[in-house]
Amino acid sequence: MRQPSLFEALAALGAVFAPLSLLSFGGGNATIADIAHQTIAVHHWANDRDFADLFALSRAAPGPGSMLCALIGWKAAGLAGAFVATVAFYLPASLLLFAAANIWGRWRGSPWHHAVERGIAPIAAGLFLSGGVAVLRVAPAGLAAWIAAGLAASALLYWPKLHPVPLLIVSGAVFGLIDLLGVRL
Amino acid sequence: MENTKPAVADVSLSALFLAFFRLGCTSFGGGTGAWVYREMVQRRGWIDERLFLTDMALGQSLPGSNGIKMAILVGRRLKGGAGAFMAALAMLGPPFAIIIVIAAIYGRIANITGVHAVLDGVAAAVVGLTFSSGISAIARGTPEPSAVVIAGVTVLCVGVFGWPMLPVMLGLAPVSIAIAFARMRRQA
Repeated sequence: MRQPSLFEALAALGAVFAPLSLLSFGGGNATIADIAHQTIAVHHWANDRDFADLFALSRAAPGPGSMLCALIGWKAAGLAGAFVATVAFYLPASLLLFAAANIWGRWRGSPWHHAVERGIAPIAAGLFLSGGVAVLRVAPAGLAAWIAAGLAASALLYWPKLHPVPLLIVSGAVFGLIDLLGVRL
Repeated sequence: MENTKPAVADVSLSALFLAFFRLGCTSFGGGTGAWVYREMVQRRGWIDERLFLTDMALGQSLPGSNGIKMAILVGRRLKGGAGAFMAALAMLGPPFAIIIVIAAIYGRIANITGVHAVLDGVAAAVVGLTFSSGISAIARGTPEPSAVVIAGVTVLCVGVFGWPMLPVMLGLAPVSIAIAFARMRRQA
């Protein structure tokens, strides 16, 4: 396969992330399933192994979880790729929001607005769950990842006030320890 | 303290930039929308809670990262267009710089298998976090059967079959919105 030029790679990043920006109802998490599909199967910017790592890195760092787009861009086309992917992912939705905020007063409280809000909510929830499923499906740890995700989800549903960061650290430490003991997941 | 407390505080553009810059550096674990709330409403008191929640309702009906949306809306309330731009920039700049440094370090240590194991563990817990927010979003209030079905169909199409989001949303959103509209008409 011919290696795409830098310009082609940047254009492809823009073409993937800008539309996703306008589809990320319910937050950046909603687009994870599509990002995984585009990154791994369509554009081959990263394989399963790399994607799993980049996903984890994006969450261990501060800021929006959707900074994953910068990591994918970096993997595809270096610093320029990271920049293009980030701008493409945040700019369209931000401009839309700013424009909407300026006309919000007129629209607010109309029955259509409530219907849109309530109609989009279950789809957004479904997209959240889909993102999780997409990540687990490519997770190299396989069944162990499903079990750990299930335990973490149960813990957070049972104790909603639980801060997620210690949970990430504990889970990372447990997997690291298992690896250290020579058990292949 | 004034007697009639204004809905937004009078802050300079540079103070606004610094506050969001700090948020960008410290908002770990995703859920940045909640971080903005804690910092701007509860800790600094720069924006009145009611105004924040009104803006949040607008933000939630539009696409985008929740933290960035709230930064833009709070920035707009405090300092107009310039405030919105500065808040978004300050909220995105530090995480971008940090993630590039992390990416560079990762490139050097990616050949150690233990690194992958630790990251697999972190990713699994993050997925758990995603699952729990998806489930509580469905279960919020009294879940309507139609909403559960719509969420289930979304998971099936996007998560299990791996279909692209755009056609799935274009197909499901009108149906879901029409159901919500019909239910509101019935209740009214």
